Amino acid sequence: MPNSILSSSFCGLNFQTPLVLLSGCVGFGNEYTRVEGFSHADIGGVCLKGTTLHARPGNPTHRVYETPSGMLNAIGLQNPGAHKVVNDILPTLDMNETQFIANVSGSTIEEYQEVTRLFDNSAIAAIEINISCPNVKEGGVTFGNDPDMSARVVEACRSVTSKPIITKLSPNQTDIGESARRCIDAGSDALSVINTLMGMAIDTKTRKPVIGNIQGGLSGPAIKPIALLKVHQVYQVAKLHNVPIIGQGGITNANDAIEFMIAGASAIGIGTGLFYNPLICKKINNDIKDYLALNNINVLSELIGSIDI
Amino acid sequence: MLKDYRNAIFVEEAKVLEHHAFEEGQFVLRVDAPKCAATAKPGQFAHIQCDLQRLMRRPLSIMRVSVDEGWVEFLYKTVGDGTELLSAKKVGELVNIMGPIGRPFELNKEKPNALLLGGGVGIPPMVCLAEQIKNEETAMSPTVFMGSEVPFPFDRKTSNLPVNGIGSDVSDSLPLLEAWGVPSRLASLQGYSGVYEGYITDLARDWLSALSDVERSQVTIYSCGPTPMLKAVAALAKEFDLPCQVSLEEYMACAVGGCAGCVVKVTTDEGESMKRVCVDGPVFDATTVFA
Repeated sequence: MPNSILSSSFCGLNFQTPLVLLSGCVGFGNEYTRVEGFSHADIGGVCLKGTTLHARPGNPTHRVYETPSGMLNAIGLQNPGAHKVVNDILPTLDMNETQFIANVSGSTIEEYQEVTRLFDNSAIAAIEINISCPNVKEGGVTFGNDPDMSARVVEACRSVTSKPIITKLSPNQTDIGESARRCIDAGSDALSVINTLMGMAIDTKTRKPVIGNIQGGLSGPAIKPIALLKVHQVYQVAKLHNVPIIGQGGITNANDAIEFMIAGASAIGIGTGLFYNPLICKKINNDIKDYLALNNINVLSELIGSIDI
Repeated sequence: MLKDYRNAIFVEEAKVLEHHAFEEGQFVLRVDAPKCAATAKPGQFAHIQCDLQRLMRRPLSIMRVSVDEGWVEFLYKTVGDGTELLSAKKVGELVNIMGPIGRPFELNKEKPNALLLGGGVGIPPMVCLAEQIKNEETAMSPTVFMGSEVPFPFDRKTSNLPVNGIGSDVSDSLPLLEAWGVPSRLASLQGYSGVYEGYITDLARDWLSALSDVERSQVTIYSCGPTPMLKAVAALAKEFDLPCQVSLEEYMACAVGGCAGCVVKVTTDEGESMKRVCVDGPVFDATTVFA
């Protein structure tokens, strides 16, 4: 069966498959092509590393650590700054291979806006607003946990770009549905659900936190049931506005992906799963196609939000 | 820019060919991985799935390869759940490996007197480098010193190959290197007979001090081991004004340069920069890592 049954339009972007590689897992887009057998043809979109206006060195090490069925990370938005990303890195990407999506971050609303403005004048397909990074002291999740602030960030970015805006929501908040509603009202075209959950690990020999930043974001299969519920909750709001969701959080196989689609995700984010198996996307695509064939489903959209309650 | 690197890392379901246990949780693992073996270079590593149930792989440096027979060999020590699970793998079972990965050691042919210093689980890349030099670079003369604070993961052998400046009481060597005609000596604080009692850098200093000025000016140091040891090696290189390459380790997630989880602070022409151990390293110029 060709990949075409997996293709779709995601807030105006042509996704050749529903899979999206998640920000922070794949650098600035080319890194996984080092692996033989990996192909951007298997992927609908690639979210580039979180980008701020000026270069950031990121957090001290250790930055990653395995936990039961998951991992903690606290990279701290290490990036070379928006000018360098736009001028030096984007020209190295082959925009025909897949849809490359910028991931915008900042410490202030003005910074989010300025970075968005820079990407608006680039070849990037869409802009993901990261108001949910748990690993920086300012901005990030401190904006994402406050629906008012979330909406103000989205509004500011909306005013400077005509490209699709995808807002990445935090699970570390009381009412993710309300946050989704406010971001949609402020002009978000799509939503990423969810970013990582805050967690920590302690070395019992030294009594020190394992992660240099003390706390980190928890990802991987450990958070999958939480992510699935958040997608289900956000979908109740998003479907009223025809706003699509990139469902993400611990997805490592086609069954996981299909669960998220049934809950309301139009696209499926893959992050930590790549670390387990860098060739995971090809397998998930094939297994989704098998599921569709087995269940006589001709269009992927039949699945989305089809939960039977 | 990066397109030269495309398709350089291979994912293989590698059959375990040999798996030998040594004291203190040390293991030598040989797997059938012909694609990795075909291009692996000293200093590179493979990212290994220790168990199907474990999400994160573990980076293990490559100790030996056979291009003809298509195998890759690792020496590792069990330090946690992941490597414990790996150590349970039996001959004939499969291990998923990604490799080869990383910037290898660069042979400095202008200074062909190669001093290889390996400590603990930093031993494998030194064995790998010694074998490459033995096979390819007849103009280069390697000397290998290895340090360990647990029993060495091989049967020590009295050496017949003299090493300048080292007393006859320090006589033990790694048999594999001895067979290749590469002189080696061992260091430890544990008081093993035939082994230098002290730090590997003190053994190296004795050797360097016994060289003539001309001989010493031809030395390049290559090293891998725990960070405190590498720091001491870098200081030694600075003291004798010698070029020095060090191979680093750090907790790692993707191992392809995607996540920036495994960084180290490095001095560059543009100032300090966080470099990825996986693809910008693991081998770095010692002066850029240790001030």
